[in-house]
Amino acid sequence: MKACRGWEEIRMFHWKIGTAALLSAAFAAGSAALLAATPLVAQETVKLELWSRQDPSGPLRPGNVIKATERLNKELEAEGSPKRVEVAVRESPAKGFDDDALQLLKVFGVGEGPDMFIAAHEWICAFQEDGFALKLDDYIAKYPQHFGTIFPSLWSSAKCPDGTYAIPQDAEARMFFYNKKLLREAGYDAAFVDAMPERALSGDLTLDEVLEIAKQVVDKTKAQYGVLHRPNKGPDYIMVFQAYGSDFVDPTTGKLLLERDKLAAAFGWFERGVKEGVIPANNTAMEFDALRKEFYTGNAAFFMYGIWDLGSVAFPTYGLPQEEKAFFADWGWIAGPAPQKGGSPVSLTHPIVYVIAADTKEPELAVRLLGHASAADLNTDHAVTTTHLGIKPEQLEDPRYAKAWPLARATELLKITKFLPNNSQFGDLNGIIYAGIQGIESGRLSAEQAADFVIEEASSSLEDVIVK
Amino acid sequence: MTTIADELTIERRGHAGAAARRRTNFVIFLGPAILLTVLFFVVPVIIDITVSFTDLSRSLRISEFTTEQYEKVFRTDRRLSQVIGLTFIYVFGTLAIFNVTFGLILAITTTAIRNVSGSFFRGVWLLPRMSPSVLYILLWLWAVSPTEAGLINQVLMQAFGLDAPLDLLTSAPIALIIISNGFIGASMGMIIFTAAIRGIPEHLFHAAAVDGAGTFATIRFITLPALRWPISFVTIYQTLSLLVSFEYILLLTKGGPFYDTTVYALYVYRRAFESGQYGYGAALALFLIVIGVIVALLGWRFFDMERLLQRPRIEVH
Repeated sequence: MKACRGWEEIRMFHWKIGTAALLSAAFAAGSAALLAATPLVAQETVKLELWSRQDPSGPLRPGNVIKATERLNKELEAEGSPKRVEVAVRESPAKGFDDDALQLLKVFGVGEGPDMFIAAHEWICAFQEDGFALKLDDYIAKYPQHFGTIFPSLWSSAKCPDGTYAIPQDAEARMFFYNKKLLREAGYDAAFVDAMPERALSGDLTLDEVLEIAKQVVDKTKAQYGVLHRPNKGPDYIMVFQAYGSDFVDPTTGKLLLERDKLAAAFGWFERGVKEGVIPANNTAMEFDALRKEFYTGNAAFFMYGIWDLGSVAFPTYGLPQEEKAFFADWGWIAGPAPQKGGSPVSLTHPIVYVIAADTKEPELAVRLLGHASAADLNTDHAVTTTHLGIKPEQLEDPRYAKAWPLARATELLKITKFLPNNSQFGDLNGIIYAGIQGIESGRLSAEQAADFVIEEASSSLEDVIVK
Repeated sequence: MTTIADELTIERRGHAGAAARRRTNFVIFLGPAILLTVLFFVVPVIIDITVSFTDLSRSLRISEFTTEQYEKVFRTDRRLSQVIGLTFIYVFGTLAIFNVTFGLILAITTTAIRNVSGSFFRGVWLLPRMSPSVLYILLWLWAVSPTEAGLINQVLMQAFGLDAPLDLLTSAPIALIIISNGFIGASMGMIIFTAAIRGIPEHLFHAAAVDGAGTFATIRFITLPALRWPISFVTIYQTLSLLVSFEYILLLTKGGPFYDTTVYALYVYRRAFESGQYGYGAALALFLIVIGVIVALLGWRFFDMERLLQRPRIEVH
């Protein structure tokens, strides 16, 4: 009986040991599995929304942000951060950046704003004024690896009175494109035609001489139009106003500034153009595509527009030569000429910028994400595929960038380039200026009346306008 | 045996029942109409009045209540007088040429010819109204295109030897918006007048013919007097409709060139939605509502609609 009991005890002992071993093994395995699984369980996906206009002239503006998520997530993983970023793009169908900004202001107004958005630089202060944009100065200083080499001149397009509210995404150059073949047909010799860019840059070629040349083309060739400009509100025609001395902002107060004589002088150029039969009376009623077609198919001498149109439309749609020499044989561009001999020529750059919403829950991640999206290689992808200028000097060393000759050639204009003013009301003022041009071209207003019209309209519908 | 008191109680119950029935009928028959009027007229008007006393602008925020918008309407907005003048020309031009006169001509001519041909032509004139507005205006844009490809220019240049293409959008924009709207508006008058002409007893025409009345005399003395009510209705209805509609103008000319075709309703739209001045747009819209109500009341009075809507004293069979 005793022996039997002893055997039982041994069995019991074995059983206890076995159970304990099993339990410990199970516990160890469970803990290991739990430990291994911990990072997965705790990983947190941060969803950031990016508002972007559907814009064939810059699909990589949102595209580069999406690509940047991969880089940021790798960085977060290396840091051991549990956060991972995911970007959702909200595309707006607005026709232009002005319509898009107005739409987005409403979206923010009803509390449905995105975390980040893409905008034309002159609109950022409208968002800043209503408290929708995040001030970025501290973040920019914190991440020199992302933002340190962006051209200093571009940052001025991202500033509002009290700080920096945007990250430059690209730049470009606005100019007067011209059709050399038509000018030669009109009787100008090749040397004269080829020297025009130089003469414009030195201030020797004037705006009125452009009208004269255009008149010769209309009179002596089959071409119907002398000078064409965009048929909607936008930046290009502002070059003419800048040439005649209007900068639209009082440098001391930052308020909108309208100088009657300078406005009337610029409107006078449009008036003379229409009277000479050089600028069509229905320019503002034409469809954009039809207007482009008139120029690129050889029915107009000059076209006021921007460098990116070569890559976006002229090369792919109208088959203009993509090789540099062949292009400059029959086509070319000049800076916005000076108003009188010896005056200053103008060019305009219209940077597009990334902005972060003031109420985003993850400002730090949004800044880092846009920092990665501003990487030289990604920005060069955008620049070379859509003929926009880059934002960093290191891009100039990229062989792809060097190969894209329109970019290198347009960079010459950056020496004289200006920006649209970063005033929250400039978008509205530009609409009034455009209506003034329309009034002149359709014969409803004289240059003097157009200047009065702009001053009256701006004074009655905008705030704090200084009139001189 | 019922007492007088019982009879009175029954009578009172009867009255009470009738009153309850009247109330129920009122709710059943007029309730939906009243609800819709309140929801889609009274409430929007109240919202509009409220917004017009605020500084609601492009980010949809109100920072203060103000009378600033009304000061703008009366003091600083110099476009307004031109816009009101143009609206007058547009509304009365479209109404006088197309919606009433041309509608009437179409009704009289299509009822005077054989039924099949009449129906066919009425069908053709209904096409613009049946087409989606964007499609209809796209056809117009092609017709008036200032290039040689435009339909009107093709006809004028090839058939009439015109040298250079015409640009009607720049040279005659007001005529264009009147014609493009009129082609649509005429069909409504046409249908209502046709129905009214069909309702005139046949024997009156026979009697007139026996008396030796010619076509014009028959129209003057038989047809037109019978159309008084429909003409009054179409005039008032179309005036109100033209005052507030602007989609065809927006699509065709965008209100331009310059402000040449910006009628009042389009002006409100441009101010509110293109410039983001919602408070100012609301103040301007309030005047449109007031003008609409005044026009409706004046029309009611002028055409003596009350009498026309009364039950006829003599039945004509």
